[in-house]
Amino acid sequence: MVSRPVRPFTHRNTASKTVRAAVLGAAAVLVLASCAGEPESEKKAADPGDAYPVEVTSCGHTSTIEARPTKAITLNQGATEVVLALGLSDRLAGTAYLDDEIPEKWRAAYDAVPVLSDEYPTNEELVAADPDFLYASYGSAFTPEVAGTQTDLDEKGTASYLSPFGCEDKTQRPEPSFEAVWDEIDAVAKALGDPAAAEQFRDTQQAQLDELATTAAGEGLTVFWYDGGDKTPTVGAGGGGPQLVLDAVKATNIFADLDGGWNEGNWESVIAADPDVIVFADAAWSTAEEKIAYLRGDPVLSQLTAVQDEAFVTIPFSESTPGVRLVDGAVGVSEQLEKLAANR
Amino acid sequence: MTQLHDRVAHQQVRGPVLNRSRPLGALALVVAAGLLVLSMAIALGVGSVPVPVPDVLAVVARRLGLGEFGVTVIDDRLIWQLRMPRVLGAAAVGAALAICGAVLQSITRNDLADPYLLGISGGAAVGAVTVIVLGVSFAGLAGSAAVGAAAFAGALAALVLVLALATGPGGSLPPARTVLAGVAVGQACAAYTSFLVLMTGDSHAARRVLTWTLGSVAGVRWDSAIILAVVAVAATLLALTAGRKLDAFAFGEVSATSLGINVTRLRWTLLCGTALVTACVVAFAGMIGFVGLVVPHMVRILTGPGHRLLLPMSALAGGLILVWADLLARSLVDGREIPLGVVTGVVGAPFFAFLLRRHREAG
Repeated sequence: MVSRPVRPFTHRNTASKTVRAAVLGAAAVLVLASCAGEPESEKKAADPGDAYPVEVTSCGHTSTIEARPTKAITLNQGATEVVLALGLSDRLAGTAYLDDEIPEKWRAAYDAVPVLSDEYPTNEELVAADPDFLYASYGSAFTPEVAGTQTDLDEKGTASYLSPFGCEDKTQRPEPSFEAVWDEIDAVAKALGDPAAAEQFRDTQQAQLDELATTAAGEGLTVFWYDGGDKTPTVGAGGGGPQLVLDAVKATNIFADLDGGWNEGNWESVIAADPDVIVFADAAWSTAEEKIAYLRGDPVLSQLTAVQDEAFVTIPFSESTPGVRLVDGAVGVSEQLEKLAANR
Repeated sequence: MTQLHDRVAHQQVRGPVLNRSRPLGALALVVAAGLLVLSMAIALGVGSVPVPVPDVLAVVARRLGLGEFGVTVIDDRLIWQLRMPRVLGAAAVGAALAICGAVLQSITRNDLADPYLLGISGGAAVGAVTVIVLGVSFAGLAGSAAVGAAAFAGALAALVLVLALATGPGGSLPPARTVLAGVAVGQACAAYTSFLVLMTGDSHAARRVLTWTLGSVAGVRWDSAIILAVVAVAATLLALTAGRKLDAFAFGEVSATSLGINVTRLRWTLLCGTALVTACVVAFAGMIGFVGLVVPHMVRILTGPGHRLLLPMSALAGGLILVWADLLARSLVDGREIPLGVVTGVVGAPFFAFLLRRHREAG
């Protein structure tokens, strides 16, 4: 210890000792952190016969996939469903974060893959699972709290892809459209090594949409898309999944001039428009039944023509978000509109 | 007369234990520091993925350059790249918040003062929520880095606004007015963030905002851990240099002035200093309640009001509590992390209530 002149106000000894210890501690940590590096990891060699390495780009980030993924992990339901829709669940080592149920048609394939967590797995669990490809629907998956940033993942040799609809920078997100959904599916199929699966998927959905356009079940009908809320309704607006579904069946959205996929509407506009049909989004946090009961119980809203006629259409909320199930949502709405027309 | 004398003697006996002798105070600091280091070591061995203790030791030993020990990449990433900085970050964040709380409680002479006093929480939330909900990039960054940077900028903007509102004639900063200015700015910020979340955010964004508000050190990596450690050490050092002035402050402004202290300058320095430190913490770990408000009170019960012991003890206790809170946050529920703010509140509040009650009975 270095001797120092005694200061007039003593009692500083304890304090400065602590301080010195703290500084030494911090310095030690700094030195240690720069000592040995990360141990060498085994690199998977690309099979010369296939297309790898391939590159996938979204949200301004390009990730290189060195070899066909065998231990991919999907975060968020949207990403999981894309892989299931492509029939490529054999590439998955795990899934995480469901918003609601996986549809019946994919249930068996989904159940065969381990579920890592109800929501996001911890960053430790993701490291321990040692994935070779990470695919997420929301930018929140690629934060240090969860998987780490995509750049960090590149450094660790883990390829990653973020749905363009989930870009953190909203200006990088595409306008919601069926084309944009299919583009994402193309990229994922390419990353997982089966581009043909995406082509087949696109052809099937395009054929379904063509049929809906011919049927035009919503022609001449005005629609109020009721998503949730009571004091003010959250409504399907003009720039997202609900609008795409209504366009596909040629119906008119009374809130088409509102921005975004969903937005806050107001009851006065609903009453003024007096829509022919009401579409209810059915979700665990706001069921269609609740919303129907609310409309029926309200002295003014119960007088709406659509409520009096029970011109109700119900679709699962997850079929109204821009993703692989949006076409299913459009098919469902179309079928229910035809049924309503037949009963009239 | 004898009765009064008895009462005084009684109070002295039952008063804060550690205030009575210097060696005892020094010993308490050493014990607290030892506990902190021990707790950090324990925390390194616990996480959502179980790693056997020998493997944990092997990872650390290898990183210290003591050999190879057949450490796997996965273990190294788990222990050295995720848990180590996280534990260090937790200790640093706890220490920084506690020291800021202690200083602010003294400088404003307000028991309810906490590090987020000067509009910091509101301002930081405005920045963070803007980035999360509107999905804009900030300072050339996107995603979580942008959230941190925007929170820091928001906190500083709110601080400037609060100081502008609170500054009296001649540049004085009356404490009551400062606190109220903080409340006013905080309310305006809260209105903005609520508006933004409800009007334009989807449910996913709203969840993310809530998570951010409750704080976490899960995202702390080596780079941010080192920054936080430096900030915490610097904050403790700087606060200690003002320790004796803060002691004088306890007797009121007039007494402090008569002891030759430039009250206005001290207040400005410490208010701005603590605000900067808090803004740094918020940028990396979000908002973590309780620690900054309550730890200084807990420590005061033990040490008494003297700052030369209160300040370092608060830093150590804050670090200790947050290391344990984070350990609980990541191990209580399997496969999920509980927000740090929830743990500090749920575990800390009853403990504080117990301490308060003990103190009342003793005093």
